[in-house]
Amino acid sequence: MKFTTLLTSVAALAVMAVAGTTTASAADSTLEIVKKRGHLRCQVGPPSPGYYNLDAKGDWYGLDVQTCRAVAAAIFGDPNKLEIQSISSQLRFTSLANGESDLLSRTATWTMSRDTQLGLDFLQPNFYDGQGFTVHKDSGITSALELKGAKVCVTSGTTTELNLGDYSRANNLNISAVTFEDFNVRDETYLNGGCDAVTGDKSSMAGNLAAFPVPSDHIILPETLSKEPLAPAVRHGDSQWRDIVSWSVYAMINAEELGVTSKNVEDLRANSDDVNIRRMLGVEGNLHEGLGLSKDWAFSIIKHIGNYGENYEAFMGNGEQGIGIPRKGTTNALWTQGGLMYSPPMR
Amino acid sequence: MAIITKEKTTARAAPLSDKSLIGWLRLNLFNSVFNTILTVVTVYIIYITVEGLLVWGVIDAVWIADTRRACFAISLDGACWAGVVSWLDNIFYGRYPREELWRINLGGLLLVIWMAPLWLPRVKAKVTIGLTTVFLYPFLAGYLFAGGDKGLFMQIMISGAILCLVGNTLHAFIGVFTGKGLPEFLIALLGKKAAPEKSQRNILLGILAVCFAVVYMLQMGASFETVSWTKWGGLFLTLVISGIGIASALPGGIILALGRRSKLPIIRVLSTAFIELFRSVPLITVLFMATTMFPLFMPEGFVLNKLTQVIIAVCLFNACYMAETVRAGLQAIPQGQYEGAHTIGLGYWGTMGFIIMPQALKHMIPNIVGSFIGLLKDTTLVSIIGLFDILGMLRSISRDAPWLGLHKEPLVFGAMLFFLICFAMSKYSRRLEVKLSTDHKH
Repeated sequence: MKFTTLLTSVAALAVMAVAGTTTASAADSTLEIVKKRGHLRCQVGPPSPGYYNLDAKGDWYGLDVQTCRAVAAAIFGDPNKLEIQSISSQLRFTSLANGESDLLSRTATWTMSRDTQLGLDFLQPNFYDGQGFTVHKDSGITSALELKGAKVCVTSGTTTELNLGDYSRANNLNISAVTFEDFNVRDETYLNGGCDAVTGDKSSMAGNLAAFPVPSDHIILPETLSKEPLAPAVRHGDSQWRDIVSWSVYAMINAEELGVTSKNVEDLRANSDDVNIRRMLGVEGNLHEGLGLSKDWAFSIIKHIGNYGENYEAFMGNGEQGIGIPRKGTTNALWTQGGLMYSPPMR
Repeated sequence: MAIITKEKTTARAAPLSDKSLIGWLRLNLFNSVFNTILTVVTVYIIYITVEGLLVWGVIDAVWIADTRRACFAISLDGACWAGVVSWLDNIFYGRYPREELWRINLGGLLLVIWMAPLWLPRVKAKVTIGLTTVFLYPFLAGYLFAGGDKGLFMQIMISGAILCLVGNTLHAFIGVFTGKGLPEFLIALLGKKAAPEKSQRNILLGILAVCFAVVYMLQMGASFETVSWTKWGGLFLTLVISGIGIASALPGGIILALGRRSKLPIIRVLSTAFIELFRSVPLITVLFMATTMFPLFMPEGFVLNKLTQVIIAVCLFNACYMAETVRAGLQAIPQGQYEGAHTIGLGYWGTMGFIIMPQALKHMIPNIVGSFIGLLKDTTLVSIIGLFDILGMLRSISRDAPWLGLHKEPLVFGAMLFFLICFAMSKYSRRLEVKLSTDHKH
């Protein structure tokens, strides 16, 4: 009798303890967890030109890395309170789901199935990519529709391969795909005449083309086969965290629209009369309250990271670490210049 | 009828094959039409390969440039080694902070100092030295590499390791010059040679305790800045993972192999199940399991870092392979050896430790070293789960903006590096075999 009571109470205690820990951990929002830890865990992929790379000193750089740094700057006022995790694409969503990463900032295409079925939310894209073709200039090909019966080099296991098949079927091109695991080998084969064309995301094509021995011997065809909005993603269900990441990206886009740069931001915070700038930089109003961050969250993003245009130029454009993809007239220009980079008003 | 000549036959010249190169060539390479054709074709193939490599890798190569584009400007067809050169720190040390690199170098140097006595003649107790390398050095090196706060356990282990290192080195010097061991020497120094064995041991333990206290005090003051494991990489990380794997594979393998041959059914079944489970799954699957599934099973908030997960996975995996190697070695020992050991009154551990294992291990050296080389090369799989080991680093060069597309040169460099390491290992194993072979010369 006594023994049974003891057993029951022990079991009850155990259940309570488990329930207690679960409620406690469920109550911790991502922001609280990150603040308690003291740094942000931001997931990128294996090095990919333009988006995330290691330099010779072993530091990370790239457009997506800047998103990570921006979120860290918004939370801590210090972009270096950050751990960059480089995770292969097979494991990217698992790592986010099991809490190993707080934020996914890598070239993941925002698709409906991913957004709705994987328990994650995609946010404002920081790059709009699309699949295209590169061909030898002396082949005389000027349009993808002339690639009838061509051999096309493609990297395997991504949507790129599927898109190529779809495009070939839709236009009766009878393209035969030659697949590769590594894009370097793909390009090498193309350069040595193993394929008539290479297909891939236009951004990476431009980057790779710039690295060819004689870049002017090749052209990127005008057709775009697919829509590839590349967006940061967070776990589904934590709206505050979602807001923080989205608005960190929006702040950079908005800053460019308002002409705020890393160089003039201090001056503008002190002297600007523009109410939009004053609101964004936390001089006026209380926009920060909804995010649960400090007043100067956007200021520190722009101070440390710069606006979207500055980062595009540095890593995608013609900066020293850039890969030379033009921006003017593309989807990645500001909406005021005919592009898709558009931030909801900050007020 | 016998023919007897009184005159000496005149000395004939040595056969052509021994006398001149041409003779040797004729005898060995051109002794028939078919062989001549074969030789010519082979020589031609070797010539075009070597010539191509030489022209690409040396003659047309660019050694100093700032970007790949600059390399192209100098030579369009040659190798661009400049990229590899500028990434050397990354390749060897990963993302380890550049001002802290001396810690890795010091760690490597300490290992060499620690292991050097194993190769010196006249040094006694080599087995003990080997064991301390496996059990104490990792703590010292681990703290040196990772830094941060030392817990009580770490403080004790580090002090022990430092003491052991100093002792080892003294022991080695004394051994080389006098042929004695350190304890023997100390007793002689104190003039207590005549004292009974028990008081000699007490004296030695006293000295040890005092030295330990002194070292413990000294090490309390020293502390290093924390370097997160995420910054470990390059050849350093490869050697850390495979080093720990190698050091733990043999003990683990011996235990598992003995378990599998045990007469106790539970131990036998468990060992067999464990070995078969890990052996029937590819390493990459084990790594994926360790890094993605493992955190899901753990209570929330319990985070084992990825490097630890990977190291544990590699250790378990290799222990299982080693177990089968050891079992093969054990099976080669004739039953008579067991019976002989029993006759002279040895128990199970005595039989295994003194009679069976020493013989079995000697037979297994080629296989063991084979597994070690395999392990070293297998660790490159960790680059797939996002650790920047040497292969991960080499592949990253082609993504860095200044060196975009530079992928052949780093891989060639990596191949040469791996060849050097693996070749050295296999050469050493050959030497060990020759040294340990006491009988059965084939």
